[in-house]
Amino acid sequence: MSKRRTTLKDFSHKPGQLVELDRRQFLPLPPPYDKWDTEPEIKPLSEERQRQLECDLDGISAFKFPRPQSEEEKRRLVEQFLAGLKKLFERENNWTFQQALFLTMEYCARCQTCATACPIYAESGKMDIYRPTFRSDIVRRLYKKYVKAGGKFFAVVSGNDIDVTWTMVARLMELSYRCTLCRRCAQSCPIGVDNGLVTHELRKIFSQEMGVAVEALHTKGSVLQLEAGSSTGMTPAAFLDNVEFMEDEVKERTGLSFKWPMDKAGADILLIHNAGEYLAWPENPEAFAIILEAAGISYTLSSDIVAYDGVNYGVWYDDVQLAKVALKHMETARKLGVKKVVIGECGHAHKALTVIADRVLAGDLNIPRESSMTLLRDIITSGRIKVDPSRNDDITTTLHDPCNLVRLMGVVEPQREVLRAVSNHFREMTPHGVDNYCCGGGSGFAITQDLNFPDFREIVSGRAKLRQILNVFQDIIGPEHKKYVCAPCSNCKGAIRDMFAAYGLFERCNILYGGLVELVVNAMPEIERPFLEWDWH
Amino acid sequence: MSGLQVISYLSIAVFPVLLIAKMVRIARMPVHLRWDLYPIPHEKGKSAYGGSYFEEVDWWTKPRVRSLISELREMAKEIVFIHSVYKHNRPLWVFSFPFHIGMYCLIGLMALLVIGAIMGAAGIVVSADSANGFAVLVQHLTRILGAAGWILSVVGVLGLLFSRLLNRELRVATILSDYVNLLALLAVFATGLVSWITVDPSYAIMRGFVRSLITFQPVTGLPAATATHLWLMAGLLFYFPFTHMTHMVGKYFTYHKVRWEDEPNIRGTRIEQAVQAALGYKITWSAPHIKTGSTWADAAMTTGEVKNHE
Repeated sequence: MSKRRTTLKDFSHKPGQLVELDRRQFLPLPPPYDKWDTEPEIKPLSEERQRQLECDLDGISAFKFPRPQSEEEKRRLVEQFLAGLKKLFERENNWTFQQALFLTMEYCARCQTCATACPIYAESGKMDIYRPTFRSDIVRRLYKKYVKAGGKFFAVVSGNDIDVTWTMVARLMELSYRCTLCRRCAQSCPIGVDNGLVTHELRKIFSQEMGVAVEALHTKGSVLQLEAGSSTGMTPAAFLDNVEFMEDEVKERTGLSFKWPMDKAGADILLIHNAGEYLAWPENPEAFAIILEAAGISYTLSSDIVAYDGVNYGVWYDDVQLAKVALKHMETARKLGVKKVVIGECGHAHKALTVIADRVLAGDLNIPRESSMTLLRDIITSGRIKVDPSRNDDITTTLHDPCNLVRLMGVVEPQREVLRAVSNHFREMTPHGVDNYCCGGGSGFAITQDLNFPDFREIVSGRAKLRQILNVFQDIIGPEHKKYVCAPCSNCKGAIRDMFAAYGLFERCNILYGGLVELVVNAMPEIERPFLEWDWH
Repeated sequence: MSGLQVISYLSIAVFPVLLIAKMVRIARMPVHLRWDLYPIPHEKGKSAYGGSYFEEVDWWTKPRVRSLISELREMAKEIVFIHSVYKHNRPLWVFSFPFHIGMYCLIGLMALLVIGAIMGAAGIVVSADSANGFAVLVQHLTRILGAAGWILSVVGVLGLLFSRLLNRELRVATILSDYVNLLALLAVFATGLVSWITVDPSYAIMRGFVRSLITFQPVTGLPAATATHLWLMAGLLFYFPFTHMTHMVGKYFTYHKVRWEDEPNIRGTRIEQAVQAALGYKITWSAPHIKTGSTWADAAMTTGEVKNHE
């Protein structure tokens, strides 16, 4: 089995697992993980799973797609795939991205500049299948042969001998989940071609035409959110219970007793958190509540279905689901009559509602949306709350830049201004800001916990971020120093949490991760006890 | 009129038509969802670090502060210096830069040949010892741009070709048409270089040919090197619009209409009208969670599975 080199012919026709992930091939990490056997392993799927599921790309399964049982079924799936491919280039079916996709199909010069920018390709030891243009060149060839007028004739003339096989489609399906959509490739492209967009559009073929998507994104993601209220499965009643519990917890931890504003019509702001925060990191919405209460901000949370969960997984795989969720968010904002919607610490929720869904909303649903980073920055710089950075003096902090917030939305400085105000020991990773590396959990990776996919995320797609974290603290890497990775994004925190656990980063290096507001509350003089509970992480 | 002249007229006519047709096709595509990529250079005071107007509280209440100069500066860096290749792929830039500069020089050479031909048709001798000062300038510039153009473009295209052949990462990603494109360019540039060195150091022959096209006069006795170059050039003009080499067109749209297109959807604006029109488009996606045949607006309001194709 080839480890790195893959031809297009192999991709389409070679039976069995195409490549093997071998951690000895990956780029080595800094100390204390500089020996490859100090790293966690990528576990192979059981033989039974391998027989049942399509996993012939690299032995990883994100889709859990059952192997077709007959040639007829394969033929039908291939036909569906081609039908979906054609719809991507139709005005009515894909006005949402038709122009950008057409440009990407027509103008790539195959100069491979994007390859140097892709963390997954670089960290994997340059495995061909992860090269940004590998995936998009297959799609480009299919487009030229099966979508463009006279494509089959020109395919012969130009030597484009690509044929669609089920083997290829099944591998493309998995390959569309080996890119985190961080779009560093697009940022580096001299022509402006966007191979990340190709990943996005491929996922749409599977979801919008073939009706198959990664379970965590669709069935247990956007569908669950629209039906139950949250992709976590939390119903409105459970949400209200959780808020009550958090009110009590705030009182216990800080002595502050106040009711969180809920469904308050006429408030200035509707604040929407990622619902994962309420369950996995309640200290984050608690810290928000403490800050906003102290600053006297007029805001409300909502217990309406969908509106207490800012996630919008559609942004990663399905434009229709994106629109459905965005409309639900905005219907609540309209009902409450708020002046604006503010999005908590969740990168993709920021981008989904503020940037992408901007052109889904019209009329009275088009209520302004803004980042909580700017609101926090203004609260602190205006002096509406007092902070004392020396209260965080025992911690060295660094900032992880969520791609959605920074490279894809341009919110770069506000979170830094806040961090500088509350930490005397803040240091930047290299690179940072719009040149950052993804946490490894982008585009739904962080919530995809099935089978051996988390191994890929923790060891391959998050590897560049892990390297950055180890490097930025390298001079104080020992456990005697407290170190904090501030990640103002639920999704990134989820990926970092799992990566830290896999590598034992807290135990070995005393590095904690968390949000921005927790550090802010930790720096508020009127809160007596430290808000950050270091040993209970 | 010779076959070369006929094919030259055709290629000169077809080239811009095809290029413009492609531009119109792209420009007429519907408004798309925003897909910003930062830094965006027109964000005044923020572009240096990649910030946007989203960094402001109540950004929709504040005037958009855009810097045309900053955007033009970024474009100039990209067009003249090929800056993004310099920044992200230095080994390729070593050849890409002279190649593009060579191309620019050759475009300048063509313009000067047209100017010189018009002057010649008007009875002004274009040469280094002409009595007309402007004609002397045209002649010197023609020779300078020509020399730079042929040499840089040949060096550049050879470098790009060998990079594709020798660099494993590039080689595996290269398809047949990439080699065809580079060889086509090499053929045109190399014959131009040979023609200039061997038979036409002063460009009198090339200028004469251009003059024959402008004045619709027959031309005879072209040296083989020059004629070969001109035939190949005409062929390239036919072929060029069908390739990704027209990326100067694509690049305008990828930068200005996708990655730097950060126009917010404000009520009552052109963008909102375009969005409303797009939400009225009908969908034929087949997945069970999408109401096939409905408009985008209806589909977005429909939750749960639907029974399509009944």
